[in-house]
Amino acid sequence: MSLPTKRSATATTSSSSASATANFPPMKKAKSQAVSACSPLDPSCNKNGIHHFSSAATADNDVVFDPSSMTLDDDPKLQDRSPPAAANLSRKKATPPQPAKKLVIKLVKAKPTLPANFEEDTWAKLQSAIKAIFLKQPDSCDLEKLYQAVNDLCLHKMGSNLYQRIEKECESHIYAVLQSLVGQSPDLVVFLSLVERCWQDLCDQMLMIRGIALYLDRTYVKQTPNVRSLWDMGLQLFRKHLALSPEVEHKTVTGIYAESFERPFLDCTSEFYAAEGMKYMQHSDVPDYLKHVEIRLHEEHERCLLYLDASTRKPLIATAERQLLERHISAILDKGFMMLMDGHRIADLKRMYSLFLRVNALESLRQALSSYIRRTGQGIVMDDEKDKDMVSSLLEFKASLDTIWEESFSKNEAFCNTIKDAFEHLINLRQNRPAELIAKFLDEKLRAGNKGTSEEELEGTLDKVLVLFRFIQGKDVFEAFYKKDLAKRLLLGKSASIDAEKSMISKLKTECGSQFTNKLEGMFKDIELSKEINESFKQSSQARTKLPSGIEMSVHVLTTGYWPTYPPMDVRLPHELNVYQDIFKEFYLSKYSGRRLMWQNSLGHCVLKAEFPKGKKELAVSLFQTVVLMLFNDAQKLSFQDIKDATGIEDKELRRTLQSLACGKVRVLRKVNAIQMKETVEENTSTTERVFQDRQYQVDAAIVRIMKTRKVLSHTLLITELFQQLKFPIKPADLKKRIESLIDREYLERDKNNPQIYNYLA
Amino acid sequence: MRRSAARKTGQSNSTAPITSSATDLFRSASSKASSKEMERIDNLFYSYANRSSGLIDPEGIENLCSDMEVDHTDVRILMLAWKMKAEKQGYFTLEEWRRGLKALRADTVNKLKKALPELEKEVKRPSNFVDFYSYSFRYCLTEEKQKSIDIESICQLLDLVLGSHFRAQVDYFIEYLKIQNDYKVINMDQWMGFYHFCTEISFPDLSNYDPELAWPLILDNFVEWMQEKRT
Repeated sequence: MSLPTKRSATATTSSSSASATANFPPMKKAKSQAVSACSPLDPSCNKNGIHHFSSAATADNDVVFDPSSMTLDDDPKLQDRSPPAAANLSRKKATPPQPAKKLVIKLVKAKPTLPANFEEDTWAKLQSAIKAIFLKQPDSCDLEKLYQAVNDLCLHKMGSNLYQRIEKECESHIYAVLQSLVGQSPDLVVFLSLVERCWQDLCDQMLMIRGIALYLDRTYVKQTPNVRSLWDMGLQLFRKHLALSPEVEHKTVTGIYAESFERPFLDCTSEFYAAEGMKYMQHSDVPDYLKHVEIRLHEEHERCLLYLDASTRKPLIATAERQLLERHISAILDKGFMMLMDGHRIADLKRMYSLFLRVNALESLRQALSSYIRRTGQGIVMDDEKDKDMVSSLLEFKASLDTIWEESFSKNEAFCNTIKDAFEHLINLRQNRPAELIAKFLDEKLRAGNKGTSEEELEGTLDKVLVLFRFIQGKDVFEAFYKKDLAKRLLLGKSASIDAEKSMISKLKTECGSQFTNKLEGMFKDIELSKEINESFKQSSQARTKLPSGIEMSVHVLTTGYWPTYPPMDVRLPHELNVYQDIFKEFYLSKYSGRRLMWQNSLGHCVLKAEFPKGKKELAVSLFQTVVLMLFNDAQKLSFQDIKDATGIEDKELRRTLQSLACGKVRVLRKVNAIQMKETVEENTSTTERVFQDRQYQVDAAIVRIMKTRKVLSHTLLITELFQQLKFPIKPADLKKRIESLIDREYLERDKNNPQIYNYLA
Repeated sequence: MRRSAARKTGQSNSTAPITSSATDLFRSASSKASSKEMERIDNLFYSYANRSSGLIDPEGIENLCSDMEVDHTDVRILMLAWKMKAEKQGYFTLEEWRRGLKALRADTVNKLKKALPELEKEVKRPSNFVDFYSYSFRYCLTEEKQKSIDIESICQLLDLVLGSHFRAQVDYFIEYLKIQNDYKVINMDQWMGFYHFCTEISFPDLSNYDPELAWPLILDNFVEWMQEKRT
C-alpha cells in the first residue's frame, strides 16, 4: 500500500484513496495556499483572501486532525499573504473542536489505483479553469480543488504532461490575445494602452495559473532542468507570439520607443543644449563656441551609432543643431563674424560655413558677409587721408576676400555674387575719386623706375586692378585721368615698358570696347609716327642745311583729338629754339600740307649743359625752366619782373618755374624734374570738372536726340531712355535739371494738357 | 512763354448803317446805346490817362484805385488787368480799357467798382483761374526778353494770387524760396508747376507726391525740405 505523502485534509473523495494514517504531516501550504490564492473568481472569498472552507472537518474519512498542530507556510512567492493569526482563527472557527476520537484504521484490501481517465478528467478540470481565467469568466471549480488536481497529477508523475498541456493552453490563449491586437488602432498611444492592458491581464492571469499550479512549479519545474517556471513560460510565450506578430510588435516597440523613450529623451536633450548654448555663447568667443558645437554634434552622432536607435539620429542631431546653432545664429554673426573676417581666420570661417550649412543659415551668413564688405570697404574708400593707399588697400582686401571665398566658403556662387555686389557698391560710394586713384596707381606701375617687379608680376597687378576697374560706374573719369597720365609718360619717355603699356590698353579694350581705347591707341601711333618724322627730318635737306649747330632737337607731333587738351602757353623762346621750330615747321608742312602745327610749350623739356664753378653738369629741365635759365647766360641777377618781361611766361606758371629752380637745389636733377611731373591740385579738379561739363553736353544732346525722334514723350519714358543711352552714372535730379534747362531754351515744352508729357519744339 | 510783341492798334466801333426796319431800328438803337456806352468808357479812360502818352500810367491807376476805394496792390486790380488782357504792368491802353470795361459792362467808376465782386467770382472759376494764374506771371515780366522773375517778387505774387486759395502751401513755399540757394529766379514752368502742385498734392502730408514724375526740380527740393522739417 502506498501511501501518498503530503496530503491535504481537504482532499476530494474521488481522487483520494480512502485510508489514511493517523499522522499527518502538518498542513502546510495547501491551506495557506488555498487561503491566499483566492481569486476574484471565487465569490466565497472575502477581501482578506481568507477562504472559509466548510468542508474541512466533514470529510467522511475517519480522520481527525489537530488544528493546533497546524502551521502555516510562508511562501514568498505568494502575493497576498494572509496573516497567520487570522487564518488560524478561521480555521478554528470553521473546525469546531472535535472530541478526540480513537483512530480506527480500516484496511482496504484493494490496491489503491487511480480511476480510469484520471489524467484526462483532471486535466479537463484544469483546462476549463485556465480557460476561464483567460477568458475572465467564472469557473465552477474552486481553487482548492484545482490545486488538488495539480497536486494529484504531479504526484502521479504526470507533471510533464501537465506542464506541456498548461503551456499549450496558455499559448493558445496568448496567441489569441495578441492576434486580437492586430489591426487595432493605428494611433500609437491608444494602441499602447491596449497592449498594456493585455499585458496586465496576462500577468494577472499567469499569476493565477501559477498559483493553481504552484505545486507543479515547485516540483516538476524545479526538478526538471531546462524547464522554465510557469511565470517565465508565460513571458516566453508572450514574447514569442509578439515576435510572430510583427505588426503588433512593431507598433508596441515603436510606440514604446517613440513615446516613452524618444520623446522625453529629445526633450531633455533640447533643454540641455538650450542651456548649454546660452552659457557657452556668453562665456566663450565665437571660434571656440563653434568648435564646441562641432564637437557636440559629433558626439551626438556617435551616440546614435553606439547605443541609440538609428531612427533617433536625425531628430537628435536636429535638436542639438537647433538649440546650439539655430537660436544663436544672429548672436554668433554679430559677435564674431567681423573679427574672423578681419583676422582672416580661414579654418574658423570654414567651420562656421559648414555648421551654418547644416541649419540652413547660409543666407544670414551671406548677409553678414555683404554688410561686412560694405562697411570695411567704405572705411577704405571714404578715408580722405589714406587716399594714396586706397588702391593697394582695396586690392589687398579683394585678394583676402577671394581667398576666404575659395577656402572657407567653398566657392559658393551666391557668396561670389554678394562679394561682387558689395564691391561695386562701395567703390562707387565716393564719386570719381577711386577712378582717379586707380588711374594714378596704374601710372605708378607703368612708369619707369619700378625696379624689382618682373613682367609677370606687373601683368598680375594689372589684371587685379582691372577687376577693381570693372566695378567703377563712372568709367569716363578713369579714362580722362588715364589719358593724361599716359600722355605724360609717353611724351617724357617715362614708360617702363611699351609692351606693358600696350598690354594694359588691350585689357581695357576687352573690358570697355574699342571706343574707349581709340584715343589711347592713337596716342601710341602718334609717338611712333613722330619717331619716323624725326628721322626723316634729320635726313632732310632743311635740317642739314639750316639747323643751328650744337642743338639736338626732337619733336613729338600730336594729333589734337587723341591727346588731352593743354592750355596754350606763350613764351618767348631763345632765338635758336625759334629758328629750330620754324625749320621743323617748314619741313613738316612740306610733307603734310593742310595741317596746322601748334607748339605746346608747356610740354617741352630740355637737357641743358651747364657750366658751374664746380664743373659741367647736365640739367634735365622743362622748357620754361630752360628759358629762364638761359636768361642767366647773359645776366647774373634778374628780378622777377625782368624775367617775366623777357620770357613772357604767364605769372602763375612763372612763379612755379622759379620756385622749382630756386627753392630746390638747382644742381640736383631729380628735384627739378619732380616739379614738372607733379600735378597740381588745380589740374586734377579741372580734369574732373571737364568730365562733368562734358557729361552735361552729352545729356543735353541725348535729350534733344531722343525728343527729336519721338516728338512726344512722357517724363518717365524719357528718363528711362536716357538711362539706357548714357554710359555714365547720373542722378535723376540732374537729368531733370538738364530737361528744365532745355525747356527754358525752348528745345522742348511741357504739354498744355498734361504736364507729365514733353513735346519737341522744332 | 514767348512774348508776342505785336500790339493791336485801337479801332473805334464802326457805326451801323441806318435802315427803316424794326430790327434795324432795334439794332440801331442798341448800337446807339453801345456807342454811347463806348463814349462814356472812352471819356473815363481819358480822365485817368496821361496826356502825353495816351495811356493810363501807374499814377493814373493809383487814382483809379483810390476812386474805387481799392488798394492798388489789391489782387482785384490784377484781375481787372486780366480782364482787360493788359500787356504791360502798370499801364492800360485804350484798347485794353475798352475791352475790359465793356466786358464788365461798366462805364462809370461806380459801376466798375460794383463789378469787382462779380469779376472775382469769375476769376475763381477753375476754367478761368489757370489762365489768370499764368497771366499774372507774364504780367510781371517787365523787360523785353525777360523770362523769369526774382524770388522776392515771386513771393509777393504768390501771396497775392494764391494766398486766399492755398494759404498753407503758399506760406511754406515762400519760406522755402527765401532760404534755398539753388534758384535766384523762377520761370514760368516752375510757376505753373507750383499751381498744379497746390491743386493735386495733398498738403501738408505730401503723401501722393512722386519725385520721379515730371515735377520741376525746385518742387522736388521743396518737398524734401518739408519732409526734413517734419522729422
